[in-house]
Amino acid sequence: MSNGTAGPEVFENLRLELRRGCLTLAVLTQLQTERYGYTLRKALADDGLEIDESTLYPLLRRLESQGLLVSEWREEDKRNKRFYRLSSEGRLILDQLLTEWQRMNATLNKILQEARPCIK
Amino acid sequence: MHKVKNPNELVERYLQAVRFWLPKTKNEEGLIAEFGDDLRSQIEAREAELGRSLNEEEVGAILKRCGAPMFVASRLGPKQSLIGPALFPIYRFVLKMVVIWVLIPVFLIVLAPINIVKAGGPWASALAATLGGLWSAAFVAAGVITLVFAVLERTHALDEIESKWDPSTLPPLEKPEKKPTPLQNAAEFAFGFFGLIWLLLLPAYPFLIMGPGAVFLQASPLIHTLYPLLVAVAALSVLRTGLILARPRWNQFTIWSELAHKVVTFVFLSFVLRFVEALPAANWHPFVMPSQSMAASAQSVKVAAIVNVSILVGLLIGWFTTGIATIVHAWQMIQRKRDSRNQPQPAASLHAH
Repeated sequence: MSNGTAGPEVFENLRLELRRGCLTLAVLTQLQTERYGYTLRKALADDGLEIDESTLYPLLRRLESQGLLVSEWREEDKRNKRFYRLSSEGRLILDQLLTEWQRMNATLNKILQEARPCIK
Repeated sequence: MHKVKNPNELVERYLQAVRFWLPKTKNEEGLIAEFGDDLRSQIEAREAELGRSLNEEEVGAILKRCGAPMFVASRLGPKQSLIGPALFPIYRFVLKMVVIWVLIPVFLIVLAPINIVKAGGPWASALAATLGGLWSAAFVAAGVITLVFAVLERTHALDEIESKWDPSTLPPLEKPEKKPTPLQNAAEFAFGFFGLIWLLLLPAYPFLIMGPGAVFLQASPLIHTLYPLLVAVAALSVLRTGLILARPRWNQFTIWSELAHKVVTFVFLSFVLRFVEALPAANWHPFVMPSQSMAASAQSVKVAAIVNVSILVGLLIGWFTTGIATIVHAWQMIQRKRDSRNQPQPAASLHAH
């Protein structure tokens, strides 16, 4: 039975839920330029979106299996690296997702503006 | 602890451990290579930052941040579940139905009394053996159901059901549970009251139950022994219905007394069956016997035997259905209690009631 006090665990779950969709959008956007895993993580972290290895690589696999990314193994600095970039289908989907994101963002901003007096 | 000569060896050992826990798929090697490259890139970046090679401790700190190999592998690998979220509610429903509504009643209502009677000795050990059997059966049933659902999950066998689902096949709305009306309560009381009068008249007027058979049949000694108990149970039942009729707002009394009534009836029937079971087979007249006042003809013995078996079958059915009804009633009470706890509380009123 709920006692009405949401703990840090609840916040963390909701935060992760909120972040999940944003991560996909951020990864697709970053991969308009070809990158390999580590540089992609670094680029995201530099922009303020930390993502750990065990989250990024399964996400890249999933996006590739959905046809949104293409990848290629190449040698760089004497090491084999897997480079990812957006596929043509990925570009189309990214455009649609960005439009949807902007629409949602505008809606949410409007809701937040209206509710502002009640939010501390 | 194994001492490392080269910090890179620690990375190799880490990757080996992650590979061990990673599900074997065609992507496994690629994933490990990619993850390994990421780790090495992190080490190189840190080395470039510090302007020197990292020592074992510093490499260990990077690996520690990534997490224990087993957990990293579980996050890196494909998400797997024995029964997925789509099938899980159906799985839970079937499991609950089989264990709670089939196994527990069968073991507690059917097998437990049989085992107790068969044991003929201490009932506690017979009951413990029944509970042990129930545990094993529940374990096997849960295993089989889980296996069946795991197969359904992998074969997507239920996908077709979802595509063929038709909203018009939905069951009609359940009618809200209606409280008995005062007329129904009055009828129940009257029925119970006249039933009690009839029961009290039976010793003096046996034809009220046996009809023309009263000429050559009479109640057995067992019935004489149990008669006061039967009258007491019937009187308590009349008292209960009388109280419900007089105090219709005593909801808790209605609910609890109904459960108590069922429990008492079940215990009484179990008691009767136990007595019948203990009777010697040679002179088996549990309920009626040929009248002592008349010479026992072959015909009257035959009629007595038929009546006895019929009553026994009736009692067995009554005992079984009362047992089921008791469990169902108790379960409904628990459900209601849980539902009332989960219902949102009404807004607090400023006015005292």
